[in-house]
Amino acid sequence: MIKFVLNRFLLSIPTLLAILTIVFLIARVIPGDPASVILGDSASQEALENLRHRLGLDQSLIQQYIQFITGVFRGNLGDSLVSGTSVMREVLNVLPYTIDLTIAGVLIGIVFGVPLGILTALYRNSFLDFIARILSLIGLSFPAFYSAILLIIVFSLQLGWFPVISSGNLLDPVQRLHHLILPACNLGLIMVAYVTRATRSSMLDVLREDYMRTAKAKGIPGMVILFRHALRNALIPIITVIGLYIGVLVGNSVLTEIVFNRPGLGKLIIGALNQRDYTMLQGLMVVYSIIIVITNLITDLTYGFSDPRVKYS
Amino acid sequence: MKRSLMGKFMILNILLVAWLILGWAGESRAEVLLRVGMNSADVGQLDPHLTSKTPDVALLQWMFNGLVRFKPGSMDPRNIEPDLAEKWTSSPDGKIWTFELRKGVKFHRDYGELTAEDVVFSLQRAMNPKTSAFTSDFAQVKTVEAANPYTVKITLTNPVPFLLGLVSNYHAGMIVSKKAVEKMGEKFITNPIGTGPFMFEEYKAKQYVSCVAHKQYFRGAPTIDKIIYRYIPSTSSRELAFRSGEIDLFYGDRDQRWVERMRGYKDTVIDVFGPGEHRSLHLNMTIKPFDDIRVRRAVAHAINRDEMVQFLGKDVAEPAWSIVPNGYLGQTTEGIPKYEYNPEKAKALLKEAGYPGGFSTKVMITNVESLLKPMQVVQEQLRKVGIQIELEVLEHATWHAQIRKNLSAMVLYGAARFPVADAYLSQFYHSRSIIGTPKAVTNFSHTKAADKEIDDARTETNQKKQLELWKSAQQKIMTECAAIPVFELKQVFGRRANLDYGNVLEGSLNLGPVIDEKSHFK
Repeated sequence: MIKFVLNRFLLSIPTLLAILTIVFLIARVIPGDPASVILGDSASQEALENLRHRLGLDQSLIQQYIQFITGVFRGNLGDSLVSGTSVMREVLNVLPYTIDLTIAGVLIGIVFGVPLGILTALYRNSFLDFIARILSLIGLSFPAFYSAILLIIVFSLQLGWFPVISSGNLLDPVQRLHHLILPACNLGLIMVAYVTRATRSSMLDVLREDYMRTAKAKGIPGMVILFRHALRNALIPIITVIGLYIGVLVGNSVLTEIVFNRPGLGKLIIGALNQRDYTMLQGLMVVYSIIIVITNLITDLTYGFSDPRVKYS
Repeated sequence: MKRSLMGKFMILNILLVAWLILGWAGESRAEVLLRVGMNSADVGQLDPHLTSKTPDVALLQWMFNGLVRFKPGSMDPRNIEPDLAEKWTSSPDGKIWTFELRKGVKFHRDYGELTAEDVVFSLQRAMNPKTSAFTSDFAQVKTVEAANPYTVKITLTNPVPFLLGLVSNYHAGMIVSKKAVEKMGEKFITNPIGTGPFMFEEYKAKQYVSCVAHKQYFRGAPTIDKIIYRYIPSTSSRELAFRSGEIDLFYGDRDQRWVERMRGYKDTVIDVFGPGEHRSLHLNMTIKPFDDIRVRRAVAHAINRDEMVQFLGKDVAEPAWSIVPNGYLGQTTEGIPKYEYNPEKAKALLKEAGYPGGFSTKVMITNVESLLKPMQVVQEQLRKVGIQIELEVLEHATWHAQIRKNLSAMVLYGAARFPVADAYLSQFYHSRSIIGTPKAVTNFSHTKAADKEIDDARTETNQKKQLELWKSAQQKIMTECAAIPVFELKQVFGRRANLDYGNVLEGSLNLGPVIDEKSHFK
């Protein structure tokens, strides 16, 4: 198992390298100059050139590339071009917020999505199924910034239960949770929709299997059939979807973060993109890639827990 | 097992008690807090000599002073008043300026008293391209010296249009502490030290900057104890946070419908103030068919400003008739060619130029709404006379880079500059500033029509003659029709009705309300 984990990590290195190279090049191919973004449009050419020099942007691409890659492998992501602070520090500052939001979003997705998926599969084509399918379709196609504003209007403005600026103090667990609830619901909404749909279709496949009929014929109680035989077998595709969408969720959190004013990786990346903060952008890509690699790994390992036939070698 | 359980209990207890104490302490202290919501994802640079961006300058003006200042709430260059300097004199030829400093002015924290040495250091820093983005403003400054600890002497090579502007509380005129800059070096950006009513306290990336009252401020201790300046990039979030009572002052939406709707809420005041960001449509005379003056004039006659202002809103926008923004020293519309809306004339001019059926052309525009929407209106207006514009909508920073590469036939551009005609004329209409050249700024049209007037006005000491030169420059550029002034868009901020700035907000060069020792909650 340890060998498997190590192997997976080693295998992800070439992928990471490819991603980094692409990001490095794309960041420099898009027109726009960090120096002029930093200094504004009335800055003199002289000042711009000085800044470019200070930021190392006047070095050749190869030089910049080598510097960047060697930095990454030494665990140094460099300093932000715009603020001058270390990229690693900025990432670590916001990472807890992103992790909170993602985990909460996934939990909401599982807690509501799995039961809903089972129910709609069991009562297929019923009124409940119909309603749930429409709702999940709405959940999937509803723009996150719009649902966020609706949530704020109802729960912050009308009811006054939650703040609009949800950047709770991390050291205060009560406040941290209080500020997390609305954004998490907003993000969870999409996740519920995904998980419901995945659970439903996976359960439907399993319910059609011969062994389900056999189990019923043997007189096994309904609940046992449902959970031990049906759900357990249906679990792998559901885990796959959840694993896949954790990555999507980390990316999707941008809009939620912006509307709720939460610090987070999404907001960081948008800021870096707008300001052409190359180093920040590259550093964030490293972090994103690592997060994706780790979630994929966890997903793979979870397969083994749900299905003993899965072997890691 | 038992011990660890006990330990957990203890920690929980301590946390609970700490939370109660902190909560209680927080409530008992009557701290006057001003919470601000700003339209930006993050801080830019907290160094007045480096930044010209709205979210930075609007904040820095609360932390720094110049030798002189614009009267709070005003941006009229005629309303300049003493700030760090108590009085000043200039030699008859306008080349030597002497400033007498106010005594007993304290810098923030323990950086001591302000002396001429700080002023000299600060202005020299502003003239150094390594530490300043505004060096071109100081091109005519020969030396800055301290005659004694409270006297600063500035010697010029040639007189400049408006020297007091250079040493005012705007951009590079802000005075920084020599000791602080020398001690902190590059870290000064994250730890600005000035003499202003508020001093920097803390910066939380992507979240906020907080400032606290500078109790020893030379005009008196501010009533407001603390300012939290939050970066809230989404307009709707700022509005919602304001309505739920989480912020007191915020950057609004420069849109008539929004202003009207917000004014309908109780306890809410919407301030609309200058400077208007001027928007001119620059016609690139190196791209066909804009090399033909008849085509340029046809475009000018096809622009319907009334319709544009109606679209943008009567409170937030006003029509522009000169290429220099309204209210700038030297701006005039008298004797300047005026291209009134006249589609028939536009069509006739096009026919005369050999385009009876009109033509089509490619124009780049940013995805930022305050420029994109007006450009779409222009597109529609030009369509009526047969000019088809293919709009290429680009991401903002990309657009900025592309238009400087001579790639767009028309450039709708907006900016607020120092309110003296020279700033606008030099940056947008002098041949030195033509895009693609070494000293390029923002001359998108490639006009050279008024180089002489612009240069002469810079060194003219007789103000009447100077105004004449600026007028003649505007005349020439408008006659050539290198750019078409279209409209100006003002600044919009929202605030609680009980927040009193302590000044009447009509204009603010630093693009945000002045919060100082007089500002308070009623």
